[in-house]
Amino acid sequence: MTSTTPRRIALFTLLFIFLAVSGGQAAEKMAKPFIPPAARPVTAPTTATAAPALPSAPSATSPSAAQVDDYAAAGPTDAPAVPVPDPFYGWNKFWFTFNDVFYSVLMRPLANGYAFVMPQMIRTGLANAYQNFVFPIRFVNSLFQLDVTKASREFGRFMINTTLGVGGLMDVAKADPNLQPGNEDFGQTLGHYGMSEGCYIVWPLLGPSTVRDSIGLAGDALANPLTWIFGPWTYGDYNPWYWSYIIKGGDLFNRLPVTIEEYDGLVKPAIEPYSAVKDAFIQYRRNAVAH
Amino acid sequence: MNRILSCFVGMLLLVAGTVLPAMAGPATSTLSTSVDQIINLLSSPEYKNASTRPAMRGKLIATIDGIFDMKELSRRALGQEWNKFSPDQQTRFVKAFGTLLQNTYLDKIESYTDEKVQYLKEQDLGDGKSEVVTKVIGKGKEIPIAYRLIDRGGWKVYDVVIEGVSLVQNYRTQFGQILMNETPEVLITKISGKKS
Repeated sequence: MTSTTPRRIALFTLLFIFLAVSGGQAAEKMAKPFIPPAARPVTAPTTATAAPALPSAPSATSPSAAQVDDYAAAGPTDAPAVPVPDPFYGWNKFWFTFNDVFYSVLMRPLANGYAFVMPQMIRTGLANAYQNFVFPIRFVNSLFQLDVTKASREFGRFMINTTLGVGGLMDVAKADPNLQPGNEDFGQTLGHYGMSEGCYIVWPLLGPSTVRDSIGLAGDALANPLTWIFGPWTYGDYNPWYWSYIIKGGDLFNRLPVTIEEYDGLVKPAIEPYSAVKDAFIQYRRNAVAH
Repeated sequence: MNRILSCFVGMLLLVAGTVLPAMAGPATSTLSTSVDQIINLLSSPEYKNASTRPAMRGKLIATIDGIFDMKELSRRALGQEWNKFSPDQQTRFVKAFGTLLQNTYLDKIESYTDEKVQYLKEQDLGDGKSEVVTKVIGKGKEIPIAYRLIDRGGWKVYDVVIEGVSLVQNYRTQFGQILMNETPEVLITKISGKKS
């Protein structure tokens, strides 16, 4: 088992690279590209619809028409966003529905029961402890992005929360306005250096991702101390390899009440949940890369 | 995805006090005035009283309508598809979309208690537009929410951005996806039929 694990890692890396390459080509051939409305070439309205549609006073319509069109123009807040191609729509839609049923229907009662049994303070404490523990991911990626301020902020948070915050259980560093929680990972580093997102992929149970962020996840696994403590290179059975997955899974389950609440907030008011989740994820990641 | 998208409600929370920066820009002042009004409404005893509640709820909705420019928000949520709607469809769309947002967020607004709103900064976006960055602090959670306001004879909110996710853009993507295959009527029916 342990001798084949490095080969498995190599195979997964090859798979991601294959996806990155093929996704780019497939996007042109297979994809039904989703062009956001503002970027679509404007087709002239047919005369049949134009007559009843346009109000009689042209001066009244031209300012409003200009105002609507002003978000095809400049302005970072109004410009249509570059869409992320979705050549694996069938796969993505299937796994999106699967994840929706799994988390929203199956895991929800478990999460509610967990939230009922476990006090909020302990759940927050455990989440804080895990976040503190994986600080190398944020630290190393801040350094990769040559953002020394952020790196030193992460380091400061780690030091303070580990000591004063009793092993990271309490986020005492938050009290300092200069030591607010940060968010960096390998996917953001790749984006910082100009790697495009590739295409949209929905992974089973892991949820929405892109090719770039999937490579990012693999990179994060390398920076995660759990990988090194419970790595495949274990001596005997002292640090069995599966504990890192158990701990990661435990953190996921611990945060499940919050995750489901956020998911509800996004999906319940949505008219088209698949697009809503895809768009929210892409916007969120683009904002994270930019900051 | 760390932040609860639905907490754009943050603007309308019960608050012990709002914190304004030393020199509040015009958009921030307008926004904080409305937020204060809403807070006062929510914390007044008439709101908790079941008999006067419907009247107070009407006042709350009126105040929210005063600070949100629903027509602008709806127009931006459709993007260039707006021009493909007839004026009657446009009116019905604005109404249906407004009702959807109201149904989605009103309960959450009414259920919040002692959160504080900090107005962190105001950024001019040009073209009579401004972005006000706020932070809602309560119950151990801190949610950064940014409001985009436009000045057309008074500042009004036309977009809410949480953790970089713009409400308008999110709906624009959804509506665009639907309008690729369906007519505007179908979209309006889908929005009206949505029960939150």
